Amino acid sequence: MAGGVTVALDGFGAERGFDVLAEGARMAAADGIGLRVFGLAGGLDLAGIEGVELIPTSEWIGNDEEPVPAVRAKKEASVVRAARDVAEGRSAALVSFGSTGATMAAATFGLRRLKGVQRPALAVQLPVPGSPVLFLDVGANVEVRAQHLVQFAFLGAAFSEAVLGVERPRIGLLSVGEEAGKGTDEVGAAHALLARAEGIEFVGNVEGGDLPAGAADVVVTDGFTGNVSLKLMEGTARAVTAAIRDAARSNPVAGAGGLLLRPALGGLRRELHPDTTGGAILLGLRGIAIVGHGSAGAEGIANAIRLAARCVEVDALGRTAALLAEGGVGRGALASDASA
Amino acid sequence: MNRDEVFDLVRDHLAEELEVDPVKISEQTRFKQDLDADSLDLYELVMELEDNYGISVSEQQAARIETVGDAVTFVVENAP
Repeated sequence: MAGGVTVALDGFGAERGFDVLAEGARMAAADGIGLRVFGLAGGLDLAGIEGVELIPTSEWIGNDEEPVPAVRAKKEASVVRAARDVAEGRSAALVSFGSTGATMAAATFGLRRLKGVQRPALAVQLPVPGSPVLFLDVGANVEVRAQHLVQFAFLGAAFSEAVLGVERPRIGLLSVGEEAGKGTDEVGAAHALLARAEGIEFVGNVEGGDLPAGAADVVVTDGFTGNVSLKLMEGTARAVTAAIRDAARSNPVAGAGGLLLRPALGGLRRELHPDTTGGAILLGLRGIAIVGHGSAGAEGIANAIRLAARCVEVDALGRTAALLAEGGVGRGALASDASA
Repeated sequence: MNRDEVFDLVRDHLAEELEVDPVKISEQTRFKQDLDADSLDLYELVMELEDNYGISVSEQQAARIETVGDAVTFVVENAP
């Protein structure tokens, strides 16, 4: 239950339409989460749902628009207004299923970065059975410096501990080999900084194959590598799933075996489904911002809202700021470290 | 509003956000070379100036702001 938390929801952008978005809002509201929905009056049917308020908004930002100029120019766009609602304290968290770039820009400019954070990072929970892995950055920063990777490690550690409940999460740095010297200059420099960082459990480099194996609880990389890796994993999972389905239907004996496995696979399928985790989290801001899957169903929409509410309930922001301070990895400290 | 007031706001914003000593910031200070500021830092400063002084800064105009003095001059010349 997340009673008492109010979430600002962008009422545009959900690919499955207004009815699915409204159903997701209804499901989250049933858990006691308050919602302020910035959407089209007459488009979203939210009437009669307790705790849900529609703030009529007709302007929005589409996937075909350049995010930063659009966010700066469209002050009344749904995602910009929703971010402003959080910044001004009427809502406690932002959730959007619209353009990822626009959501990141609206959140970054509207909520501002946490003190000392150079770059916010987009994090996703990889649905590794039994123990999800937090993976960041998956697209906010195509190019990063070593200091950015160090901050990502702390942002991820704080989220993993506070929101996912992982005690002393193991932090891995994605590279092309386990040895400290492997990888780009930035990865090498980040490894050196992380190896002597205090406040987190750095376990060294991890390789791509270690990601779905759960070799670390939090895996850090740049946004380019992270996005490519994420899409590769999603595509591979779809291809393998389709191949298994085809094989199970190839003859009557295989079909009978498939039927016997169905109950067990159903649970696994739910665990691995993107709707289960709710969406990506933009870490490093002074407010909570969730970037949902555009194609999310009602359950995915509800889970993204629940994730936002949970972040507020466990004071994810306060705990993140505390860990950054404990580690001494604010912008000024890292700049001194790099020049030393 | 005069030039000194605008400079004070720009300096204080940069000192706070970039965690640098305010005495090291002058009108000649360059954002990228001297403060290690990137495009995100500059956008945040531009939006702060827009909110405080009611100005509007286009992408092209923002790209031409390279020093603290450039930012101060832009505000002084364009504020309503």
